[in-house]
Amino acid sequence: MPNGSDRGISQWLTYAGLTLTGAAAALPFVWMMLSSFMTRGETLRRVFLPAAVQWGNYIEAWSEEDFGLYFENSLWIALLVVGGTLLFSLMAAYPLACMEFRGREPIFVVILATLMIPETVTMVPNFLTVSWLHQVSPFPWLNSWPALTIPFMASAFSIFLLRQFMRGIPGELFDAARIDGAGHLRFLFQIVLPLCRAPLLTVAMFTFIGSWNALGWPLLVTNTPAWRPIAVALQKFVSEAGPEVHLQMAGAVIATIPVLILYGLVQKEFTEGISMSGLKG
Amino acid sequence: MIRHRSDTLTAWALLSPALLVLGVFGIFPIGYAFYVSLHRWRIKKESVVGFGHYAKALGEPVWLLCLVAGLALLLLSRQLRSRATSAGTRATFLALLAVGGLVAVRGFIGMYETGDLRLFNAFKVTLFYAMGTIPCEVAGALVLAYLLFRILTVRGFFRILYFLPYITPMIATAVVFRTIFSPNPGSLANRFWSIFGSSNQRWLQESRTVPALLLQGMGIDVYPEWIDTVFPSLALLCVILYNIWVYIGYDTVILLAGLSAIPRHYFEAAAIDGASQWQQFRHVTLPLISPTLFFITLVAVIGTFKAFNHIYIMRTAGAQDSVDVASVLIFDQIYQYHTAGYASALALILFVAILMLTVVQNRLLGRRVFYGD
Repeated sequence: MPNGSDRGISQWLTYAGLTLTGAAAALPFVWMMLSSFMTRGETLRRVFLPAAVQWGNYIEAWSEEDFGLYFENSLWIALLVVGGTLLFSLMAAYPLACMEFRGREPIFVVILATLMIPETVTMVPNFLTVSWLHQVSPFPWLNSWPALTIPFMASAFSIFLLRQFMRGIPGELFDAARIDGAGHLRFLFQIVLPLCRAPLLTVAMFTFIGSWNALGWPLLVTNTPAWRPIAVALQKFVSEAGPEVHLQMAGAVIATIPVLILYGLVQKEFTEGISMSGLKG
Repeated sequence: MIRHRSDTLTAWALLSPALLVLGVFGIFPIGYAFYVSLHRWRIKKESVVGFGHYAKALGEPVWLLCLVAGLALLLLSRQLRSRATSAGTRATFLALLAVGGLVAVRGFIGMYETGDLRLFNAFKVTLFYAMGTIPCEVAGALVLAYLLFRILTVRGFFRILYFLPYITPMIATAVVFRTIFSPNPGSLANRFWSIFGSSNQRWLQESRTVPALLLQGMGIDVYPEWIDTVFPSLALLCVILYNIWVYIGYDTVILLAGLSAIPRHYFEAAAIDGASQWQQFRHVTLPLISPTLFFITLVAVIGTFKAFNHIYIMRTAGAQDSVDVASVLIFDQIYQYHTAGYASALALILFVAILMLTVVQNRLLGRRVFYGD
C-alpha cells in the first residue's frame, strides 16, 4: 500500500494532469469566443482580450451572404432527419430485438454491413438516383429538402443501438400487454417507446450532429441558397476571400449554439448511451 | 423473445421503411457505382471504358497481378513458417519470403510508375493521417481515462469538458483551427511559437514537411528530395492535431465506462497479492478493457477513411495536395471535375482497401482481445 504522502503526491499529479489536458481541450473554445468579440484590427495584432466587446460582429456575420438563411435551413434539415431516423430506427429495431421471424439474423447482418460503406462510394450513385427521382416524382428533390434528408433517415448505427437496448426488455412485459389485448404496435409505441428514452435521445443527438456537419452531399445536390445548410456557409466563409477572422469566429459560435443547447438537454442520457456502445454484450 | 407465427408480416412491415432507405441509398449504390465506374460518365452516361478507369488509377494490370502474386507468396510462407520443423521447410520458407517480398515490391513500384499519382498520394496522406491520429488518440485516451478513474470528485466536470470537442460541430471547430493555425502573425499558433523565439510558420498553408523545415531552420537549404516524400507536411500535422483534439474525449468517455465496469474486487485481490500499481494496470486493467480498446480502434480506423468535412474546410491552397486524403480526392473528382465514372472507380478501390484493412486488423488485433470466459 502506498503511504499517505505518496498518495497525496500522486493524487496531486492526477489533478494536475487532468487540469492541463482540460485546459488544452478548452483553449480553442476560449480563443473562438474571445476573437469573435474582437475588432478586425485586434485579430491581426497580438492581443488576447478585446478592448471592447464587439457584439456587432454577430449581427454582421448573421447578415453576411445569407448566413441566417443557411442556419435556418440547417435547423429544418436536422429536424427532419432526426425525426425520420428516430421513427424508422425505432420501428426497425423492435422486430430485430423482440420478435422472431425468418430472415432476422441475415437482415441484421446486412444492416450492420452498411456501416462499413464510405460515403464517397455512395455519393455518385445516390446523386444519380436523386436526380432521377427529381424528374419522375411529383415533388422536386434537388435543391430541396428530400435530397438532403430522405437518404439519411435510416442509419445502421441507430438501429443497432436501439436493438441492443431493447434486447434488455423482459418478454414478460409483452405477455402482460398481450393479456391486456395489446398487439405489437401498441406495445411498441406505448410500452417500449417510453422505456427507450435514453437510447433515443442518444440517437437524436448523434443524428443531429451528423446532419449539422454534412458538407459534401449538400454541395452536390444544391446550387442555390434556398436549401443550403450552414456547413456550406462556413466553408464559403473560409475559402473565399470574404469575412475576416472575427466574423468567421462569430459564425462558428452561431453554428455551435444549437448543438450545445441540445447537448445541455440530453447530456446525461447521451454520455450513458455512448458509454454503453463500447461495452461488450 | 416473443414468438407468434402471424408476426412475420408485422415484422417486415416495421422493418420496411428503414430497409427501403438503406437499400436504395446504402446497398444498391455499391452495384450502381461499379456500373458507373465502367463508363465515361460526366453529367450523363457516355462511352463504355470497361476497366479503363481502374487501369488509369492503379496502373498496368500486370503490376497489380504482380503485387497480388507477391502477397499470396508471402501468405503462403507464413503458413509454412508455423509448420517449419525440418531444415528443408525452413529453406523453402525463406525462399518464398524473399521471392514474395521482391515480387510484391516490384509490383507496387510498377503500379506507382504507371498509375495515378494523385491516388497514391491520397493513400499516403490517409496512411499518415491514420498513423498520426489513431495511436496518439487511443494511448492518450487510455491515460486520461485511467486518471479520471482514479479521482472521485469533479469527474463529471472533466468528462463534460473532454467531451466538448467531440460534440461541437466539426465544421465550426475546423474553422476555429483554421484560424489558430493560420500563417497570420497574430494567429494563436504563431504567438505560441514566438515564445520559443522562433520565426512565424505557415502552418496549414505549409506543404513542406517538418524535417525539411527543421533543416531549413538550421540553415541547410539543400536537402535530399525524398525528405519531402516520406514525411507528412506541417499542414497535415495540424489536421492530425485537430483530429486528436476532437476524438480523444470520446475515446476517454468510452474507456472510462469500460474501466468502471471492471469489478473492484479484482483490484483488491491483486493488491493483496502484492501487485504494484503498474502490475495491476498491466495484468488486470489492460486485458479486461481490451474489448473496449479494440472497439475504439475499429471506430477510429473507419472514421479515418470517412474523414471528409473538416479536412475539406481546413485545406488551403498553400498546402497543395498534402492534406488531401482519399475521400477529398474523390470528392474533387465529382464536384470539381465532374468525372463521375473515374470517381466511382477510385471510391470502390478505397472501399476494397478499407475491407482488406479491416480483415487484417481483425486478424492481428482481434486475437489479442480478451473477452473473458
